[in-house]
Amino acid sequence: MLFTWLMLGGIIFLLAPQNVTSKFQFAFARIFRWPLSIGRNITLSARMEPQLTDVVSRRKYNQLQNYLANVTEELNCEHQKAEELSGLRNRHPMEGAGLMLAEVITASADGFIINRGQNDGLQKGQFVLGDNSIIGTISDVSLRTAKVELITETTSNTAVQIGELKTVLEGDGKNSARVQLVSTKHKINIGDNVYACKKPGLLDAPIIIGTVSQYSRSKENPLLWDITVTPACNIQELNDVAVIIMNPQK
Amino acid sequence: MRWLRFAVLISLVTVLQAGLSDIIAVSRLNIKPDLLLILVVFFAIHYNQPEAIIAAFAAGFAADIIGSAMGTRIISFGLFGTLLAYLSSVISIKKMPYQSLVIFICGLLTGVTGHLLTLIKGQPTATNAYAIIFWTSAYSSLLGPFLFLPTAWWMRIKTHRYERH
Repeated sequence: MLFTWLMLGGIIFLLAPQNVTSKFQFAFARIFRWPLSIGRNITLSARMEPQLTDVVSRRKYNQLQNYLANVTEELNCEHQKAEELSGLRNRHPMEGAGLMLAEVITASADGFIINRGQNDGLQKGQFVLGDNSIIGTISDVSLRTAKVELITETTSNTAVQIGELKTVLEGDGKNSARVQLVSTKHKINIGDNVYACKKPGLLDAPIIIGTVSQYSRSKENPLLWDITVTPACNIQELNDVAVIIMNPQK
Repeated sequence: MRWLRFAVLISLVTVLQAGLSDIIAVSRLNIKPDLLLILVVFFAIHYNQPEAIIAAFAAGFAADIIGSAMGTRIISFGLFGTLLAYLSSVISIKKMPYQSLVIFICGLLTGVTGHLLTLIKGQPTATNAYAIIFWTSAYSSLLGPFLFLPTAWWMRIKTHRYERH
């Protein structure tokens, strides 16, 4: 009898809509937020190894920072020139966007749960940044927590561009993603940057999502490339992320 | 059963599984032991049937809360935890190698059932789900019998492992 009742409860949970049952998951993440965060920090620090190959000298770092400053300034000048020539006032991409910083509470292959929600202006579909690159989108949101669907998840489909070519990036569930709808007529190179396409109301300018790490002719259709894209940052080692909120209400 | 101790144990193990078990994860597939599965087997072996059934469903609920789809693990843990509870009333599973084997088989059965229920629910699953299930079961079976001792100490039960007769 006990088994029957408990099994019935399990079946109700199984058949209930995901947006109802996910409230339990959000509640757990909220109640145990501190121990989960501490556990994640311990895990990340245990995984962290001194990688001397990743270190650049102060001189090199300054060079890169200066280069970035110069390019930014050059862009500003060009923008002003374009404004003068066209006589139209245009705003910079991402000018009206706000970034909501969030802490990762739990991380798994099924996505992140972060400590920001509807109360902070988060909505379904908003893009999430990690180390200045797109890592996913908000897939579910409660008042104070939200779920992030990562670009590497099998359910993830993101409109991207490689150079001028626009296509769709699909997660492969193995910490990388794939592009499978590109004709072999197009030239692809290893190391090409892949950018998330602009999306009205969600993303004003293309932002890097990853790089092409491998490509070969598709086994199913030799006329198409099978391109593997490695995320621009190590997603599983992120502790903090930022959600892009276009035109935030102040 | 000491229910307060059980509640603390299941909460602690759930938090450990969600937040800390990545430390001991191995391989590129991020294989980590299923601590809640180990608890299900522990309670099925050491407690009477009603207590073991409640423990199995509670562990399944906890596994669902930190998993991707609710309902899948409650059913799989509950079903196989109950079967194991009935089985252990007939066959004694006291030796560590047998306990290890039981954890491995339970891991495979609950993993496959949970995967199929996830598919039925229409939720996404990993492309290499069966490899993950196999290696998670193997890892849990290696670690499980060693975790039985601190669990038995916490639940204040005697396992009779080192007693002379």
